[in-house]
Amino acid sequence: MEPDTLPEPELDARLAALRVAGSRLDTPRCVEKELMQAFAARFPPRPPWYRRMNLAEWGAAGACATITVAVLASLLAPPAPYAGFASHTPLVRFENGGAFIALDSFERIEQEPDPHIVETELPRTMLATLGLPVAPERAGEPVRADMLVAADGELLALRLSAID
Amino acid sequence: MTITPTTTDDDLLRRMRAGQADAFAALYRCHQGPVYRFALLRCGVAGTAADIVQECFMGLLGGRFAFDPLRGTLQHFLFGVARILILKHEAARRREAPLPAFAEDEDEAAEPACEAAGPLARVLADEAAEEVRRALARLAPHYRDAIILYEMHDLSYLEIAAVCQVDIGTVRSRLARGRAALAHYLRAHAGAA
Repeated sequence: MEPDTLPEPELDARLAALRVAGSRLDTPRCVEKELMQAFAARFPPRPPWYRRMNLAEWGAAGACATITVAVLASLLAPPAPYAGFASHTPLVRFENGGAFIALDSFERIEQEPDPHIVETELPRTMLATLGLPVAPERAGEPVRADMLVAADGELLALRLSAID
Repeated sequence: MTITPTTTDDDLLRRMRAGQADAFAALYRCHQGPVYRFALLRCGVAGTAADIVQECFMGLLGGRFAFDPLRGTLQHFLFGVARILILKHEAARRREAPLPAFAEDEDEAAEPACEAAGPLARVLADEAAEEVRRALARLAPHYRDAIILYEMHDLSYLEIAAVCQVDIGTVRSRLARGRAALAHYLRAHAGAA
């Protein structure tokens, strides 16, 4: 008499056949399409950054950029000449081993009604601050100078007798 | 960052939640096949199985189903979600169907999956496979769950227990009874043929 159930090995073989046959099955393509549409609706593509800014934000950004450029320009620009000098006049004039240094514009010096000269000695290191060459070995020595002083005490010019 | 076959599900999920469509597509393509095959063998109707897969991934996308990577793999989580959705679908269908006249055996009384030669039968050209599918469709749903997950998807007893939310002993007994019932149906079918 035959048993009323399938033997285990035969059952395993049948199940293996179902597994192989079923392995070819995939969800219909339309499901993926619908899911991707749902995804796109949930996460709409973001516009590029320049479209996300409104007029006020653009204005603020422009103002910030302008200020930044101005600050950078002022920091990076070479130092302006002393305001008292006219741009077309020489600051320093060398003559006979000495130097004449105008500390104000020549117009101002010429128009001074009562200038007077004060003789003095200056530390040679001060010449460097005025843009004049200083030999390091003589940096400690003083240098003779005639100061042209206005009536109100303002220093107008310097004449250095010997700076070499 | 590109997506490779070695990109983990966790990483893909994270990118999907960040709005990367290719991550969602990669997740779907990786897991749709097993979930669809489970749903198809479980409910027996291709259209319903496709709906189940779609609902699984819609839930994953919308955050309706919260996946916890500490509690198992995404694949097994999706099996669990699909199983619950199928149960809901069957419950709704039962409410609409007329009451059965009489049922001798509790297992026999359980609603079988569609046995008609539908799209699945057409796809399963192998006659032996089709016989098993028909026999499988006659099993009670809880036996079908265990048999499909164990025989078709290589899940362990423990993993099946997690998917079906039962203890491991129940899985063991369901598998044994399910296989016995399957062998019985197949023998009866062979005898009838």
